[in-house]
Amino acid sequence: MKLLGLVGSNADLSYNRDLLQYIQKEYVDLFDLEIFEIKDIPMFNQSQDLTESVLIQNLKRKIFQSDGVIIATPEHNHTVPAGLKSVLEWLSFKIHPLQDKPVMIVGCSYYDQGTSRAQLHLRQILDAPGVGAITMPGNEFLLGRAKEAFDELGNLNDEKTRQFLGETLHKFVRFIGVASQLKEPEPLPEEDLHATGQIATTIPDVDMHAEDWVEQAIEKVKPVKGATYVELDRGILTVDQINALLKSIPLEITFVDANNQFLYYNHNADSAQMFAHRKPGQVGNPIGDCHPARTYKHVQAVIAALRSGQTERVQMPVPTHGLDKYVVHNYAAMHDDEGHYAGVNEYILDIKPIIDFYLKKTGQQLTGGSVDAVSSASQKVTPPIAPQVDAISSASKKD
Amino acid sequence: MKNLIAIVGTNSDQSTNRQLLQFMRDHFQQVARIELVEIKDFPMFNKPADKKVPECVQQLAAKIDAADGVIISTPEYDHAVPAVLINALNWLSYGIYPFVDKPVMITGASYGVLGSSRAQAQLRQMLDAPELRARIMPSSEFLLANSLTAFDDKNQLIDPDSVEMLEGLFTNFLIFIAITAQLQHAHAQNQKQAADFSWEDLHNSHQD
Repeated sequence: MKLLGLVGSNADLSYNRDLLQYIQKEYVDLFDLEIFEIKDIPMFNQSQDLTESVLIQNLKRKIFQSDGVIIATPEHNHTVPAGLKSVLEWLSFKIHPLQDKPVMIVGCSYYDQGTSRAQLHLRQILDAPGVGAITMPGNEFLLGRAKEAFDELGNLNDEKTRQFLGETLHKFVRFIGVASQLKEPEPLPEEDLHATGQIATTIPDVDMHAEDWVEQAIEKVKPVKGATYVELDRGILTVDQINALLKSIPLEITFVDANNQFLYYNHNADSAQMFAHRKPGQVGNPIGDCHPARTYKHVQAVIAALRSGQTERVQMPVPTHGLDKYVVHNYAAMHDDEGHYAGVNEYILDIKPIIDFYLKKTGQQLTGGSVDAVSSASQKVTPPIAPQVDAISSASKKD
Repeated sequence: MKNLIAIVGTNSDQSTNRQLLQFMRDHFQQVARIELVEIKDFPMFNKPADKKVPECVQQLAAKIDAADGVIISTPEYDHAVPAVLINALNWLSYGIYPFVDKPVMITGASYGVLGSSRAQAQLRQMLDAPELRARIMPSSEFLLANSLTAFDDKNQLIDPDSVEMLEGLFTNFLIFIAITAQLQHAHAQNQKQAADFSWEDLHNSHQD
């Protein structure tokens, strides 16, 4: 389970940050908590819309990809600090990533009150229509007198406090399970699989459907080739060297741009030998050309999820290659330096040799359903002996 | 004649809260001098360890100090006071205490029908915090709903009932200022408590 922890303070030193760090360390078996700092996010101003800025888009993606959010708030002037409120305003103006997201509130303060009023306001704010979070009711975790609450290792001193925090966090994990039942799958904008639009890098006036799209496009833009140097992050290679590198990577790599046009694959095998039988003449096609119409709905769903930031990667095992292989198609979202969606990197590989290598080197073996891979999802039911491949796929789904 | 500071509680270029304060400034010019101030250029409050308050904040604090009272007009974002107004109040109570015992009148305008009711309630609670300790005029909500259509092209409030309501409240506010002036027996103590409460020892330790 992936959680995102928002540090509600932008001060250099903050007990609320300390608390999140303690939770991150202490409950590593319960969830994976990523701590997010809000201090660089500018003041909300509806007249200067920065929704598309890297910082806010980055936060949006992290929220989308988390199962739940923990917000640690200080209290200033009987309410949440301006910095935290500003972040929530950005997240409710043009984008609404907290919509239906399970949220838990915690707070630390220097004094006895432990942010009681700020937490109540925060609940009210999270409940506002533009924010729309599902805040866990009850279970207020207020840490007063924070200065004395932590020891020098950053651990909470008091046994009862630790116990209560643990109970609350376990409840939150269950709450996430319940709250996810409420979430309507968000309708995403439709993907244009025929690439009828155009982006800045689209090579214009070349027929995308043509067998010789590459040759025509070369005539058009005269790309560099051969021994010409190309500056990369981080290094310098010639085009020949880049080709050698990409062809030697033991994956079938395909580049689809943000316009859904298939622009490249690392052509290191004949079509017949590939898991996905790419043909040289397909390059340049809109991806609609590369898939049968009956699969469009599914292809659209994958690309839309990657483009929107709902997920960073989609993994799909394809079982049609026989039992001696376990072929996985991976679809990873790519982004430019500004964080904008730049297309899909599809990479395909057979992971069976990797697993065999691991087992051989470590002397371990697969034990099917008796592996406790799913115990955190369901503590009561231990599944019966399952085929080996199932144990692997259910584990990978938890990513 | 009373001197009042009117804080525009938003950084938006277009604001019906600013319009409302402009209307009040013009409408009440026979009985009070109202100066509108903007808070949009204040940097984000971050509890600097050296407790240094920016120059623009100090200037506003000095104006509030010198004024007989303050009017704050707040929009409502996400059921609450906008971050930019929270930010201004955070700064205006960080080692400086211009609001202690200062008479404050709250107004608010919103595009919808609720007229910033929740934001105003929250603002009252904030101004009541020990380090702000303002004298908020009780029982005096002025909520301007549907504010986009509330003004004519000469920036006059169209609805006569709203004008009457505002006039009544403003007259009350002037009386409230006079009454508050008589409630100053604990002022020195209040100011000391405001200073003591918040930031004692904080520069030596974690801040929140």
